[in-house]
Amino acid sequence: MSVARSGRLRAALAVGVGLVLADSSVVVLALPDIYRELDVSVSAVTWVLVAFNLVLAISALPAAALARRIGPARIALAGMVVFGTSSLVCGLSGTIELLLVARCTQAIGGAAAVCASLELLPAVVGSEQRAATVWAASGALGAALGPGIGGLLTELISWQSIFFVQVPVAAACAVALIAPARSEGSRERVEAEVGAAGRPHLAANAALALVSAALAAALFLVVLLLIEGWRMSPIGAAAAVTVMPICALATAPLASRVVAVEARAAAGVILIAGGLAGLGLLPDASVVLTLPPQALVGAGLALTLSALTEAALAGRSPQAIHGGWTIASRHAGVVAGLLLLTPVFTADLETERANAEQAGIAALLDADLPPGTKLDLATRIADQIAAEGDKVPVVGPAFEPLPDDPVERSATVALRTSIESEVDRAATHAFSASFLIAAAFALAALVPIGLARRRIGL
Amino acid sequence: MSGRSLVGIAIAASVALVAIYLAAGGSGYEPTPVADPCAEREWRSPQGVEEAAQQFFLSALDGAACELGVSRETLAAALATEESRQAFAAEQGIDDAELETAVRAGLVRGIDDAENAGALSPLVADGLRAVATRVPVDEAIGLIENGSAIFGDAGGVIDDLGGLLDQAGDLIP
Repeated sequence: MSVARSGRLRAALAVGVGLVLADSSVVVLALPDIYRELDVSVSAVTWVLVAFNLVLAISALPAAALARRIGPARIALAGMVVFGTSSLVCGLSGTIELLLVARCTQAIGGAAAVCASLELLPAVVGSEQRAATVWAASGALGAALGPGIGGLLTELISWQSIFFVQVPVAAACAVALIAPARSEGSRERVEAEVGAAGRPHLAANAALALVSAALAAALFLVVLLLIEGWRMSPIGAAAAVTVMPICALATAPLASRVVAVEARAAAGVILIAGGLAGLGLLPDASVVLTLPPQALVGAGLALTLSALTEAALAGRSPQAIHGGWTIASRHAGVVAGLLLLTPVFTADLETERANAEQAGIAALLDADLPPGTKLDLATRIADQIAAEGDKVPVVGPAFEPLPDDPVERSATVALRTSIESEVDRAATHAFSASFLIAAAFALAALVPIGLARRRIGL
Repeated sequence: MSGRSLVGIAIAASVALVAIYLAAGGSGYEPTPVADPCAEREWRSPQGVEEAAQQFFLSALDGAACELGVSRETLAAALATEESRQAFAAEQGIDDAELETAVRAGLVRGIDDAENAGALSPLVADGLRAVATRVPVDEAIGLIENGSAIFGDAGGVIDDLGGLLDQAGDLIP
């Protein structure tokens, strides 16, 4: 293989892995738009994320086995084609049902492309260890960049554009895989190798699952807090969550300087837990206050995901199968995190919404306004809350137009500020328990990391 | 950098962040408490007509909420629209008669509180209380919403409502 061709293939594989794994989080910022446009509930729209991650987890190992049996380049090519085509269907979906079906086929194609890529990378980068590093880093970067890119596209164009832009990228990756797929020889003996694949690294995979459950919360809940809780625009939220990938990128060189895998993994989960605990203990509804916790999560993500993936793959063969285990563990963790935490935060959101409503009405009744004005405002606020359904209400429009009388106007503005502050504080608090549970997931990952260190030297 | 230093930095950064956020009140959120509507609420500056009308409105709301066993805020939200009123009545299992009793109790509570605060003379308060127990419920709600009429011209209100009651009495065989 020529150097240029090898470089193109390496780039295609890395971009392909990043693209697929970004998809597990890329729609996070688009979820509010999707559930408004497709008219579904918060719980239902969560399945746009859950379905992809669940199918990715389930199909990773069969996809890896298929890559060993049929040939990694052929499976990677087929996977990219399925992924790209499904992305197109996702973008064209007009119903939640079609979107979910397309997300599932997208995940099947993605699993094939990601697992087969790990089998192809050693020949391109020179060694299995280097291949594992490139593969893990591409996946971690994709997962971290996903929400920001998704939010940007949602704000600038539409949620559908998130899927449409993936089509040419997937096509370019597929084109780069055509030549290797054509030249791939028959792999008659591979079936026996598949059967002989060693046991997966239980501790590293268990830790990956726990960390991924925590990261799902970090990526999913932060975005919901910013957009749904604090009513930020997707582009504003995208800018805010960019802190995570920036810190992940900044920490990556540090990660390569520390040889001890267990230290990187442990430091990473401690940072993720600290960051999530910080998000659970936000003193105020301020986007600035989310930045330091997100920075810790980003740094922790870079340290721990690459360390645990490297540990899970080190000295194990075949790489595709063990890579499949890491993908299955990571995405099963994401699914578990989403399924466990979604009911917690939706129930908390409902409770806090009721508390905020009572507190808001108390502020309204105590405001220095004539009773007639209070009743009129109460009616408008009630209508506004009813119109927003089960979402955190935007009460501002209920106060428009402001009264002409300067004294009444000033009292109305003060009341609006007070109610909005109450709603913000309640919304912030509604996410606290979920963030703290996610922090506990991250800390729990220290158990398998510690056990593995003692028994088999992670 | 050694692995131990890296873990140490991670612990220090995480603990520092959590400590700072806790010190800044990160765990201190409590929803604004909602007062007991049956408890007495002090009238603020009941001297002016508008101020007294506001306090009267809140006292009456407290009285009605106390009678129904809900918070003042819940009742205010329930009274906002026809739909919310019906939903509230269905949720609490309240019929029209109970709602009427609650409105009258609210009106009497408002008059009592106004009298206690010195915003109404005992004579006028007695007259209003007599009216409150017999006046049609829509008029009672109107009085609660427009308390300034009471404090601006209590005598006129009693005369008007008394006339209304007389007319109603004439209709009864």
